[in-house]
Amino acid sequence: MQLFPRALNKLPLVAAVGLTGALVGVVFVFWYYFSPKNLQVGYAPIQPVPYSHRLHAGQLGIDCRYCHANIERSAHAMIPPTQTCMGCHSVVKTDSARLANVRASWTSGAPIEWVKVHKLPEHAFFDHSAHLAAGVGCSTCHGRIDQMDVVRLDKPISMGWCLECHRDPTPNLRPKDQITNMDWRPEMAPPGWQPPAVNPPQHCSGCHR
Amino acid sequence: MKRQPYELANAAQDGGAVFWKSLEEKNSNDGLQKMKEAEFPLGISPDELPKGVVAQVSRRGFVKVGAAMTALLGLDGCVRRPVEKIAPYTRAPEYAIPGVPSHYATVVSQRGEALGLLVEAHEGRPTKVEGNPDHPASKGAADLLAQASILDLYDPDRSTSVVHGGKPAKYDEFEKAFELLMEATEADAGAKMRVLVQPTNSPTFVRLRDQVRQRFSQARFHTWSAVSDSNAREGARLAFGQPMHANYDYARARVIVSLDSDFLQTEPGAVRATRSFADGRRLREPSDTMSRLYMVESTYSTTGANADHRLRLPSRDVERYARLLAKELAASGLDLGPVRGALGDSPADGIPEHWIKSVAKEILANRGRAVIVAGTRQPARVHALVHALNAALGNVGQVVTYTPVVDVAEQDHASDLRQLALDMDGGKVETLVILGGNPVYDAPGDVKFGERLAKVKNTFHLSSRVDETSKACAWHVPLAHSFEAWGDQRSLDGTWSIQQPLIQPLRDGKSEIELLSLMVGGLMETGDKPRSGYDSVRDTLRQVSRATTGFEKQWTTALSRGLLPGSAPFAFTPSDVKGADIAAELAKPRPAAKPLGGGQVEVVFTADDKMVDGRHANNPWLCELPAPMTKIVWDNAAYLSPKTAADLGVTSGDVIELSREGASATIAAWILPGHADGSVTVSLGWGRTDAGRYGNGRGFDVNRLRSVESLHFTDGVAVRNTGARHELTQTQDHHSMEGRPVAIDATLDEYKATPNFSQFRSPTPRTLPLWNRRDYSQGHRWGMNIDLSACTGCNACVVACQAENNVATVGKDQVGRGREMLWLRVDRYFVGSDEADPKVAMQPLACVQCEEAPCENVCPVNATAHSPEGLNDMAYNRCIGTRYCANNCPYKVRRFNYLEFQGGEQIGGPPEALYGELPEVRKMQFNPNVTVRMRGVMEKCTYCVQRIQEGKIAAKRSGQPVRDGDITPACAQTCPANAITFGDLNDPTARVTQAAKRDRSYQLLAEIGTHPRTTYLGKIRNPNTSPEWTKEKG
Repeated sequence: MQLFPRALNKLPLVAAVGLTGALVGVVFVFWYYFSPKNLQVGYAPIQPVPYSHRLHAGQLGIDCRYCHANIERSAHAMIPPTQTCMGCHSVVKTDSARLANVRASWTSGAPIEWVKVHKLPEHAFFDHSAHLAAGVGCSTCHGRIDQMDVVRLDKPISMGWCLECHRDPTPNLRPKDQITNMDWRPEMAPPGWQPPAVNPPQHCSGCHR
Repeated sequence: MKRQPYELANAAQDGGAVFWKSLEEKNSNDGLQKMKEAEFPLGISPDELPKGVVAQVSRRGFVKVGAAMTALLGLDGCVRRPVEKIAPYTRAPEYAIPGVPSHYATVVSQRGEALGLLVEAHEGRPTKVEGNPDHPASKGAADLLAQASILDLYDPDRSTSVVHGGKPAKYDEFEKAFELLMEATEADAGAKMRVLVQPTNSPTFVRLRDQVRQRFSQARFHTWSAVSDSNAREGARLAFGQPMHANYDYARARVIVSLDSDFLQTEPGAVRATRSFADGRRLREPSDTMSRLYMVESTYSTTGANADHRLRLPSRDVERYARLLAKELAASGLDLGPVRGALGDSPADGIPEHWIKSVAKEILANRGRAVIVAGTRQPARVHALVHALNAALGNVGQVVTYTPVVDVAEQDHASDLRQLALDMDGGKVETLVILGGNPVYDAPGDVKFGERLAKVKNTFHLSSRVDETSKACAWHVPLAHSFEAWGDQRSLDGTWSIQQPLIQPLRDGKSEIELLSLMVGGLMETGDKPRSGYDSVRDTLRQVSRATTGFEKQWTTALSRGLLPGSAPFAFTPSDVKGADIAAELAKPRPAAKPLGGGQVEVVFTADDKMVDGRHANNPWLCELPAPMTKIVWDNAAYLSPKTAADLGVTSGDVIELSREGASATIAAWILPGHADGSVTVSLGWGRTDAGRYGNGRGFDVNRLRSVESLHFTDGVAVRNTGARHELTQTQDHHSMEGRPVAIDATLDEYKATPNFSQFRSPTPRTLPLWNRRDYSQGHRWGMNIDLSACTGCNACVVACQAENNVATVGKDQVGRGREMLWLRVDRYFVGSDEADPKVAMQPLACVQCEEAPCENVCPVNATAHSPEGLNDMAYNRCIGTRYCANNCPYKVRRFNYLEFQGGEQIGGPPEALYGELPEVRKMQFNPNVTVRMRGVMEKCTYCVQRIQEGKIAAKRSGQPVRDGDITPACAQTCPANAITFGDLNDPTARVTQAAKRDRSYQLLAEIGTHPRTTYLGKIRNPNTSPEWTKEKG
């Protein structure tokens, strides 16, 4: 007596293929969608002040280092003090509603609490000055900030992404006077310019201390 | 697994020295053997879990939760990381760059010396102390107290407000009440007012005090400190008619005789002395010369550990030795004038003849290059005799110089305090202002300061915390830390430094000079308002400034350099030693020495290596720092020799009662090989009751046993074994290297005969490596060299490492379980087979960065991996805590976080409230460039990799290569002896390369083929090899 229909003979094969497919699918979903590339890139939180880099850095053409001063000396890219904002806005747009929080901070002395966008993985130590000294431009990691109204994470800022460049930095280097050029493309390099041998660390303590 | 005996163990069998860390190890104690085999003495044990946890959680429940957690782990990636805020400055301070630390030059008063410092501050938060390279007292080095002082700043138990009658009050209230009282006191010119101060080196303090004296002509100032150089001052007064500091040039001395002076650790000016002493013994090649140190002492001090010959004598007999030595010198033709006749006829009992004859001969052979130095414990007449000897030998002006003291009015502390006590009894004191110090705790027992204080109507106490004295006073005023207040200090050589604050007072504290300004009141130049500390210091400097114009420039220079250029007075040579006065003092009859033995001992009171007089009692770094000689943590103990212990029938850990003339103290005993027989050493500064959460109830208070007459040592003390036991926790048997020859030493003659002696005991491996060795010839090749001959074992490096690398303290209970976290330890080995009188070798040991690292091969997750520069990196976030690496480390330098030692949620929690809840204020000290490690993570030294990275990045910024000396790890930077060098071994001119190439250089355990980057220079001793000496030694 036949309890199971004949078609069931194919079940082990179907199950094997199906389960393998499902497993590959799950792995793929995690590998692709759960990666910083997918989860982190595009993070653009609402900031306490609707500051537009497109306006200041893009249209007005203010150099990055006007506000992010000392970036060539320090590990941190320093969010400017309220003082820097007020340097201009005590005479420009003095009554703009968009600047209310800046003025409030200036009078009260309480800092403006910006939301961190470019957040490194935990336990990693990053130094801006080292990267600038090597000739890595702002836009290489931060994207076209000059075209953003709200700052958005443009690159994954993950360990794998960092290491890609640390293994082969040459395509991402530019002459030091072009660091803040947002529109930089490798073909813009002056004739005869050779990327320096920067020898970035690839070992643990390069970033983890 | 059965342990294989180590092939080079017990070098003694082939005639080498015997190295042992403790008597238990030497005598192969079974328990110790078991501990060694266990590697990690205990894992997490049920007694550390909260009650009931073990019963509640079943195996099934545990697996259920574990499985659920594993399943959920994948979802971790779905969660957006928490939102973080960035709060920039509103108005940025000038020159402040976020991320770039600033360094301020300042000065701190330490054991009577003013130590010039550079303090690092991150965004206004002082985090690390270094020595000021321009300052003559520190020369870029700092001692363990200076290193630890940063933690005192963030002590969570400092008082936060004025306290009046036990209740918090406002500072304004105090100021008003105090000013009213001062005005009322003016009526009788302060006849009933007394001020008790600490000894000072501050010119502003002295100037303001004199102004207070002008206002209150009848008021009296008294000076008291439980630990001071009062005897040395009085000795100079006796010898020269005025107090002065003696400065010794140990670098140029050929022979040094120390009479109970621990000049390398607990005496004033130890940092300078250590540098100078090490310089006098630094050997580059066998033909170099080195000094010879003879030490006569009762306890085994750090200085004794560095002595070439050491005579164990009870402290009271040191004077007898000094007299016998002086007599011998005089008999050999030294003109001592009237002093010669007053030396008396002391018997030479217990003092070997060669210690008198041979030493005298050597001193005479090195006239002008001999240093005789007396310890602050010894009475003034011994100091006077030493001055007379140094003068007669022509050492003065050569290796001994004198400088004036800052405060000439300071009197002998003991008699000064007794006078105050008598006045308090006689009702002559209505108002007592105590500026700093803690006399209720640290005054000698017979003064009964606490009881007498109750008789005084108005009492004020300026103190960092509501301590024993504050509780007995009507008013308590918080004292500012020296990094919070303006001040000035002069070093022992006279160098004038400004104490520059780095931070506003965290706890609203006031400095001593600010309170003095308040007392000066109406006499002020500017009317009624008290001068601020800043103004007072400038006033003083303006008065002495020779420059009539350009004061501001002088001031700025003093601030930025940390000292006033040219302020050290020319050291002078007193022409006349008042021989007759010294003779008269020496000839005075003294009470006969009481016999030692039969339950009667001498007790010696020493300044604690870590607590001094108890002022650092609430500093967990210092509490947990293993004491330099005994390696005891979180306690003090009564040290006694093996023979005395046997006579008294006590063993280590027995609580003994010491009693004399009605006073008594109980303290746990500890057998210290090399201690003088018949003598017991106890250190001050422990057993506090109101120090704070860390210091309360730690150790034993022995101040009650002291008396005004016998402040530093006393005989006729009866010892009784109470039968009780106290668990003393020590680290000397932890991290055992199983008798392998590690701290290699030789005598100068042996070195001359065989310059590469150390390599014989550290031979190259006999087996071939398992794989091809990596090529490190390109790029940097970091390496370290430690000169065991220069290292004195002062332990400054240990605290510096702890401060730089956010190393946790774990508490006594955890240390007892073998879980101390110190990355760098200083191993103290006893050398020789004589338990009663061994020599000592010190060896600082941190991770040696093996090129063929055994730890890396066993890490299942690659959390510890090699960098191309040869560092053995730790990626903390990768570590899963298998501890395999620590098991496989032959040097035992890896440390595991068994619990959340740096705060955070605990499983259960240890019995001590040490961590778990790390006070917010303490977190301000953390170095922002170093990860604060969590539970379950292995950690170790990485040559301060954050400093290496910073140095390399700085070089990248400037476009210049990294030069030798640009990068210095914390231990090397703070080393007072300059024993540690660090640099790039690929740079042939680097100091470390030169050092590593020296003939006595060796690799630790070279025979196992780990190729460590840290090399050591073998220790050289310089024993007397004259026939008389060796014959006597027999």
